[in-house]
Amino acid sequence: MTSIIVAGAALVLMMILAGAFYRQWRRNQALQAQLQAAAADLEHLQLACSRLAPAGVVQQLVADGTRAVTVAAAERKIATALFVDLVGFTEMSERLEPAVLVRVLNGYYQRMSDAIDEHRGQVGSYVGDGIVAYFGALQPNPWQCDDAVRAALAMREAIRVYNVELDRESLPRLSIGVGIHRGLGLAGLVGSRERKEFSFLGSPVNLAARVQALTRLHQADILVTEALRAELDKNILLTPMPAERVKGFAEPVVTYAVKGTIESRRG
Amino acid sequence: MGGALAHVSWENCLIDPHRDRALESYARRKMGAPFPTVRYFTPVPWLARAFVDLHPEFGLLMHLDLHQSDILALVVSQENSCRFCYAAVRMLLWAQGMSETRIQRIEQALSSGELAPKMAAAIAFGRSQSRVGPQGAGEARRMLREAGFSDDEMKEVAFVVGGTDFYNRVSTIPAIPAHTLERMPDQILMRLLRPLIKRIVEKHRVRGRPEPPERPPSYPYGGLIKAYAGSPIAAALGRTIEEMWASSILTRRGKLLMLAVIARGLGCEVCAIEIGEALQRDGLDESALGQVLTHLDAPELNDTERALVRFARETIWYEPASLQRRARALRDCLSGPQLIEAIGVASLANGLCRMGAMVMGHS
Repeated sequence: MTSIIVAGAALVLMMILAGAFYRQWRRNQALQAQLQAAAADLEHLQLACSRLAPAGVVQQLVADGTRAVTVAAAERKIATALFVDLVGFTEMSERLEPAVLVRVLNGYYQRMSDAIDEHRGQVGSYVGDGIVAYFGALQPNPWQCDDAVRAALAMREAIRVYNVELDRESLPRLSIGVGIHRGLGLAGLVGSRERKEFSFLGSPVNLAARVQALTRLHQADILVTEALRAELDKNILLTPMPAERVKGFAEPVVTYAVKGTIESRRG
Repeated sequence: MGGALAHVSWENCLIDPHRDRALESYARRKMGAPFPTVRYFTPVPWLARAFVDLHPEFGLLMHLDLHQSDILALVVSQENSCRFCYAAVRMLLWAQGMSETRIQRIEQALSSGELAPKMAAAIAFGRSQSRVGPQGAGEARRMLREAGFSDDEMKEVAFVVGGTDFYNRVSTIPAIPAHTLERMPDQILMRLLRPLIKRIVEKHRVRGRPEPPERPPSYPYGGLIKAYAGSPIAAALGRTIEEMWASSILTRRGKLLMLAVIARGLGCEVCAIEIGEALQRDGLDESALGQVLTHLDAPELNDTERALVRFARETIWYEPASLQRRARALRDCLSGPQLIEAIGVASLANGLCRMGAMVMGHS
């Protein structure tokens, strides 16, 4: 009788243990699945990051781990900054219904971003109705000046086509001003501890913004600086503009209006 | 079993497979099993052979651990978003007896950085070549040395990484279908055949043996071959490069221009010097070469060369689907074999340049 009780107790104990083991196994499986999902997310994030920040910076972030959140992750490099802005946006924003305005703006952003992507640039940020883009800031690009100017020419063409669409809907036409400059700046992730974004900082970006503002004065839609002209393909046709003083720069700035390319003139 | 790259967009395949008994049996002899992927490249025999010959695990490595080589190939394929190669390396690990769970653990370790210092240094080098190219070679070399890699091991690491860069591009640009490989480990037949596959893989995964150096090569990247003298890598690379130059599908000048543009885009001066000298011997004067390298065009180029130069530049840094769409546009100005050879030359140039910056700078 005792042996039956002992055997029964042992059996019950074994069943309890088996149940506990099974529960633990299930829990481990669930944790394993969560871990795999997190690892997959991390992989995607790393790959995505390498397309949003300079490769060297991503490497530094990956290598430094959590420390990178507080340590500056940036590198000095020569890159080209492009500023594009809508001409007469404020006036247009007062005339159009908000929903229509947003639709028109989104169409503009999409077309400008496509032109930048197509020519291997990266959209840095949207500032109101303006867009700042960088060429050669993420990965080495010895053809960054040609790429930036060809992107600007693609923007000009995209706006021309978009205006045909807007005409059909009796909406106001859009026109843009583009400023481009190349120089040494700081490429990296900047921002608060909670929110960082990729940026290219320094005088190239400031001057590109100032040159963009000169497009109204010179009545030209695309202007480039002397530093950019020196690196540019001779097939791109330029017209020199009078030197102008701009805020934040001691010397007057010489700019060139981009007319088009020899190929397009022939075509 | 697509792994971490299952989300990567992949266009329809750009080229059609062509059967070639001689090349297929060459691949079967070398790898021990049918290798149908080689059919995509048979119109360009040197490329089909290179696709078989440059696998490091089949007798090319004398010093580097074969498992390290597999993991490096996995990491570089992931960095380059090559679904085909990533699935192929996962399949290789699976065929060697690794469970899906173990492969996933390796992937987790790679993303979380929980790695032995030597493996971590090798992986950092692989990643640096995909992300920053030769410009990251100096720092990566220092890290490899600090982690305890010998000079010979470092050269083999460079070969595995450069070779994977070649495989990634040659598979990604024409969008070689990846889904068959991705699904293979889930198929019942493949599970049943797994022990047999394992035996075949183990039989053919062999260490390399020293090979006496052949006559010193004079073509561009001859310096790279010299740096590998005594290793079976020298013979495999030398044969591939020699056959590429001997092929007349694209002109020698067209191929040299592609190599020059890729060396320029990657900022590899040591590679650019050799290629520039060869181009001048081929009749392209210094100013024309300078114009091509600065603006990807020159009046001296014909239409085919112009298309090749622009295409070569696209292969340096890329998003797979975007590169595949751009390569599709190339079909308008090149014949089928020309397109495949252009893909092969650009892929090889990317691999050689990354290898060269590490090894030629090193030797």
